[in-house]
Amino acid sequence: MADNGAHGFWRETGQLVGAVGRAMSVTLRNLFRKPVTIHYPDVQRPYPDRFRGILALAYEKDTGEEACIGCRLCEYVCPPQVIKVEMLKGEKRNYAKTFTLELYACEFCELCVQVCPTDAIIMMKSFDLATADRRELLLDKDRLHALGLQFEPSWATGNRLRDMQAPPKPARGEARGEGKAEAKGEAKEPAE
Amino acid sequence: MTLPPAAWHAVEAFIVLNVLLGLVAYVTLLERKFAARMQSRIGPYYVGRPHGWLQPVADALKLMLKEDIVPASSDRAVYNLAPLVFLVPCLLIFATIPFAPALGVADLNIGVLFFLAVSSLEIVGLFMGGWGSNNKYALLSAMRAVNQIISYDLPFIFAALVPVVLAGSMQMSAIVAAQKGLWFVAYPVIGQLAFIAFVIATLAAENRVPFDILEAESELVAGFRVEYSGMKFALIQLGEYAHMLGTSFLGALLFLGGWLGPGPAALGPLWLLLKALVIFLLVTWVRWSFVRIRVDQILAISWKLLMPATLVLLLAAGFVVATRGAGGG
Amino acid sequence: MTATQTQQVVEIGYGGNERLMMNMGPQHPSSHGVFRMILTLEGETVVAVDAVIGYLHRCHEKLGESLTYVQYPSIASKTDYVAAMTAELAYVSAVEKIAKIEVPKRAQYLRVIVAELQRIASHCLWLGTWCLDMGGALGGGATVFLYCIREREMVLDRFEELTGARLLYGFHQTGGTRYDIPAGWDKKVRETVDFIEHRLDEYEAMLETNTFFRVRTQGVGVISREVAETVGVSGPLIRGSGVGYDVRRAEPYSSYGDFDFVVPVETAGDCYARYRVRMVEFRQSIRIIRQALDGLPEGPISSRPGVKSVAQVRVPKGEGYTRIEGARGEIGCYLVSDGGPKPYRLKWRGASFSNLAVLPYIVPGHKVADVVAIMGSVDPVFGEVDR
Repeated sequence: MADNGAHGFWRETGQLVGAVGRAMSVTLRNLFRKPVTIHYPDVQRPYPDRFRGILALAYEKDTGEEACIGCRLCEYVCPPQVIKVEMLKGEKRNYAKTFTLELYACEFCELCVQVCPTDAIIMMKSFDLATADRRELLLDKDRLHALGLQFEPSWATGNRLRDMQAPPKPARGEARGEGKAEAKGEAKEPAE
Repeated sequence: MTLPPAAWHAVEAFIVLNVLLGLVAYVTLLERKFAARMQSRIGPYYVGRPHGWLQPVADALKLMLKEDIVPASSDRAVYNLAPLVFLVPCLLIFATIPFAPALGVADLNIGVLFFLAVSSLEIVGLFMGGWGSNNKYALLSAMRAVNQIISYDLPFIFAALVPVVLAGSMQMSAIVAAQKGLWFVAYPVIGQLAFIAFVIATLAAENRVPFDILEAESELVAGFRVEYSGMKFALIQLGEYAHMLGTSFLGALLFLGGWLGPGPAALGPLWLLLKALVIFLLVTWVRWSFVRIRVDQILAISWKLLMPATLVLLLAAGFVVATRGAGGG
Repeated sequence: MTATQTQQVVEIGYGGNERLMMNMGPQHPSSHGVFRMILTLEGETVVAVDAVIGYLHRCHEKLGESLTYVQYPSIASKTDYVAAMTAELAYVSAVEKIAKIEVPKRAQYLRVIVAELQRIASHCLWLGTWCLDMGGALGGGATVFLYCIREREMVLDRFEELTGARLLYGFHQTGGTRYDIPAGWDKKVRETVDFIEHRLDEYEAMLETNTFFRVRTQGVGVISREVAETVGVSGPLIRGSGVGYDVRRAEPYSSYGDFDFVVPVETAGDCYARYRVRMVEFRQSIRIIRQALDGLPEGPISSRPGVKSVAQVRVPKGEGYTRIEGARGEIGCYLVSDGGPKPYRLKWRGASFSNLAVLPYIVPGHKVADVVAIMGSVDPVFGEVDR
């Protein structure tokens, strides 16, 4: 343990004492710092705008009707294939006859939100849906609509995400033109 | 009281044992809270808000209600007896600790010797646990434990003997009385070095980090107690913490002046408790600051560093006493 | 001991003593994941080690054939789940290489920022779990672990503000990235990075001059330069053994050539050298992040329109291999495309898979306690190993 005999011994002992002192002073310093614990569930930490939480179905803002048109794009894009949709054809627009989402297998990857053309499926700023029975996490259409009203929605919707990824080209004469401009206005957050 | 002395001692022992068990339980809570604060978190919190006061009670209840799983291929007699053989010496050491000049179960005139001898008996229970579990991890841990504890018992004894030499008696109350003027830890050079050696040897004899190679949770999971569950595990834990507290009390008596402190003599036991807790927290502080070292390095430290150092200290203490003349303060 | 032709177990011949075979099995507090090592012990010394993997095999390569180029990046993050951003980057880079898709400059800088932040988070976890293994879950190791996790949480908070997720992001898409930075994010990243730099000084004070730490890591697990080059380790392992190979320098990708950073190289080859390499990488990542934030150009974050349908990305026939510098070493992704929306074949080159192959060369001769220190310094993640 000693090199150079006695001299090395004292030097090494000095180093050891110094190292011990330094390590213990770091822990002592932390003794007097405030703990970083957040007392969940008494206290909720603030979730950021883009938080990917529970999935839900939304209503259209102007008409109050269900936003989902049953196009099944989300069903096709979902990697673990947890969404199952049946379309119901209507005169003016289509609806979803049934919409099931198996939340217990969902990856929360947000791809379904990404592809939805009508911003129907969205994610909430909460993940608080723990149950003891897995069947309660097999969400049907009514449950999904109820969740949409129960929690605060996250910032990300299909149109906003797609607009963020590629700026809209100027010559785009679709009916979604105004909706897109409105979405783009919302997407441009201050000081971006 | 007109009880015969034997019955009186039995009552005293009973009281001491019960107080001790409660104290040991709450010392675990103290350690957990202290360690948590050093790690930027809060320790036990919910059970008995806001400071987790009922956590030890909850732990004790939980352990009592747990299923006692005995491995099918274990050596039954050895396996079942090991927790008891481990626990009894750890509790017996409290028999010789006086809490005040006349308060204690048995203030033997070979008190320190009895303490040191009995506390070394725990190694038997430890090895029985490791062997009886019929588990390679437990066996490896038990072999390391025998190595380590035996190697560190010698420096432990020598460091504890320095105050004995300085005071001239092995009776604990006499040692405390000899510290009326100056606590032995404040004794120039010899006192401090002996105290440091005592703390290091305590860490090793208690299997505390940085010397906890025998349990090494990340390698051997729980060491020799890996196959124990329920009440047997509780007994082993109780024994470990009781031993830890016992050596803290010993350190307080030998080095920190025992029950001596300002105020009336009735506050003596309180001072002793506080000093023991100071040593306990010091050991905890060290435990939560370091990574552990390997068993061959541990043995190297003991035989190459601590043994010669404590021998030299003991000789120096003897020299000091001899040159001071007979009696001496 | 099972002896298959593909396994080479290097045994050191000790004489005389009885040998004990101990299983450091898949459920173990310090096997860094599900990993089984069958150790042959003589007393406390390890004489041979037989490593068994495959406990986390989740058929990533088959999944790559059944999921399209749009769906797979979210799944790619699950290979190296501790450093998810770099894993996704490997996959989308391979797709972009075959399809010859340009990635806009802003997206490249964002990818760099995110990859370096991820490297910091991954190294925080490495340091914490390594000290936890060496110091005990009830001891000083846990203290360092909790400090490192405290810092890692700050980086994960930044990722949460950026993507919404904390561990597995789905941030990359073919042609660019999926999210742009929200308002005020760059300021928060700068604050986080400054804070971590100060805390790094604290860790170094606690560990570097600490005799206990040095005695556990110096001279332990020495990978000689020849062994490193023969076995094919990469990342901090090879840089700790004297070879200055970093994919960010050797084949710069995603605008790494624009940044000024040092590639740390140590020659000792032991656990301490690898520790030093990673500590320097911490600071260099911080340096790169600052440069990237300063020079972040305006512009689109993707050269392709936003993802609208599952078969949107079609890659012409061809094949390609890209490699990137992950936190653990060189991650490679080999794709064969047949012109459709899904790859014909996807092969992952996991950094940890090749790094683990060095174990039979360096573990024998050490004590059981050193096995833990060595495993920690190799820093495997079994998502990469077993895929």
